[in-house]
Amino acid sequence: MDVSVPGCDNVRQSLGQFGSRRIYGCIDSPHTDFTIAVSGKVKTGLEIFEEFCEDPLESAVFRVQSGLTQPGPAIRAFHDSLDLCGSAYDRAMAIRKAVHEAFSYQPGATSVHESGEDAFARKQGVCQDYAHVMLSLLRMEGIPARYVTGMLVGEGASHAWVEALCGNWWYGFDPTNDLLVDDSYIRVSCGRDSADCAIIRGTFLGWAVQMQREQVRVEKYEEKI
Amino acid sequence: MDGLIAHSETINKLLARYGVKFGIYKNGEFREQLFPFDPIPRVIGHEEFAYLEKGLRQRVDALNCFLRDIYGKKQILKDGVIPEEFVFSAKGYLPPCDGVVPPKGIYSHISGVDLVQSKNDSWYILEDNLRVPSGASYPMIAREFQRKSAPAAFLHNSVIDNRNYAQMLKSVMDNVNTGGINVILSPGRYNAAFFEHSYLAERTGAVLTTGSDLVCENDNLYYVDYEGRKRRVGAVYRRISDEYLDPMTFYEDSVIGIPHVFEAYRKGNVALLNAPGNGVADDKGIYYFVPKMIRYYLGEEAILQNAPTYLPYYQQDMKYTLDNFDNLVIKDVAEAGGYGVVFGNSLTKEQKADFITLLKNEPRRFIAQEVIDFYDLDILDENGGRVPRKADLRAFVLTGSTTQVWPSGLTRFSRNPNSFIVNSSQGGGFKDTWVLSR
Repeated sequence: MDVSVPGCDNVRQSLGQFGSRRIYGCIDSPHTDFTIAVSGKVKTGLEIFEEFCEDPLESAVFRVQSGLTQPGPAIRAFHDSLDLCGSAYDRAMAIRKAVHEAFSYQPGATSVHESGEDAFARKQGVCQDYAHVMLSLLRMEGIPARYVTGMLVGEGASHAWVEALCGNWWYGFDPTNDLLVDDSYIRVSCGRDSADCAIIRGTFLGWAVQMQREQVRVEKYEEKI
Repeated sequence: MDGLIAHSETINKLLARYGVKFGIYKNGEFREQLFPFDPIPRVIGHEEFAYLEKGLRQRVDALNCFLRDIYGKKQILKDGVIPEEFVFSAKGYLPPCDGVVPPKGIYSHISGVDLVQSKNDSWYILEDNLRVPSGASYPMIAREFQRKSAPAAFLHNSVIDNRNYAQMLKSVMDNVNTGGINVILSPGRYNAAFFEHSYLAERTGAVLTTGSDLVCENDNLYYVDYEGRKRRVGAVYRRISDEYLDPMTFYEDSVIGIPHVFEAYRKGNVALLNAPGNGVADDKGIYYFVPKMIRYYLGEEAILQNAPTYLPYYQQDMKYTLDNFDNLVIKDVAEAGGYGVVFGNSLTKEQKADFITLLKNEPRRFIAQEVIDFYDLDILDENGGRVPRKADLRAFVLTGSTTQVWPSGLTRFSRNPNSFIVNSSQGGGFKDTWVLSR
């Protein structure tokens, strides 16, 4: 993987929360823009996105609601209206479908720090909101679930989905597209909700109007083994 | 005693002049108000203090063990002593701190433990404050003024000098300092406790700073002085809360923190007092489990008791809470500073019904406690007469190479005769606390 930040000579790496990798640094001289370019090859496949969880304590932090998944009246009423039964996997599948159907996809409908409850009250949102509501419902069912950010083949932006612990395995569910996660999904980081998983965060000193742009390009690269 | 009382007005004027104020944000507006001082001290006898001291050291030692465990092996959860969801749903539990060991393994260096004394003379712990407890500077400066205005009172009573707090605090900072200077990190002049930040900096010889004076480079922290010189920082007594500490790790909109300071801390290059993540141990829900922690980590019985507390999370406690609703005080575990406290008997019928629905929906969010009829202390009213008011005591427990209790403390009282809430953010006043040497 290549990381390039023009103007920054102190790019460092460390391990962040929930095993995420963190690359950080700063430009301490005056500048007008800050560009981070990351490129590389990623290997995906079933053995990577279905992870075995040995220690139940490791998943316990994902069983409780977090800041952006706290249910309110809208989600609670929705939960009551669902007829959920069967294994954790069965219920997760049903929740994925129900959330997908209840929401309508509306780019720009929500702000970055909006909770699942607020988005759900309007029934409009983007992948982040779908994921928060699904997390909220899974956790109400006592199923540990985590938020995942990553990328999809061909998409122009990053994506978000959910992983739920069914038995001892983490399975990926994409409520936005009503799909199971397969090898076209590239996982970047996971956490309790989107606040734990920002792909980029930063701060600057000085008077400036800021604008942020993100571009993602994913192409298939097949290699004979 | 008359000497102390005679100068009451002068001392309050002096306190105002020195800026001993309390700032409050209410409805988006910043107002500074005086923290009224009452000249009649609370007096704690020698033996009684020895007992408190023993109990407080035990409690803080156990809380430090708990924090080390929770951000490490989590053995107490594996052994089922505390249900894991109480830990992981506590607002103060911070996942970035998982696996990070602070210098010398100390999490809570400065602990403010709030106690009350009931009418039958027993002491109860009301809450632990392990994040950024404030208040030590108030009795320090009040004592200083009183010693000047009424020296005889101190000559004839064997009062332990409390002016050693700065020394204790300095040695706590020095103990974990990783090489470099000590600084106090303040959010700035508009913080409620800014007087305290500047006063403690002056007394301990630490540099008073705000976030913009400090920079991280190559995972080390530096103080940049007015000439632009950089000096390595080894310990930060930070008086800003966890979520504002580092915009790169916690609340990203924070402009009062230090970007990347968490990385420096993670790598052991700087000590933060108190350690980030301590909020998991002073959570009102976790409070219930402190006596169990003492037994679990230290193999001892708790010397100081909690106020009788029920967790509606447990079915039998929920039943008790509903059956005895009118006699209990219910606290929202996510709130602090006297907010989110409801006395069962103060609600109207509809309010009560609404509250019970909320309680049943979110049992984990609340604790219920017996109302302790606590001891009144005399204060002076406007006409110079004595009237009894509810008062509590914040004891300061400092953990350096050993755990020590400051032989004084902040006694807060409620100015409203019918109120049990003594928090300074709710308009209470304070007294000096005398500990007798014999």
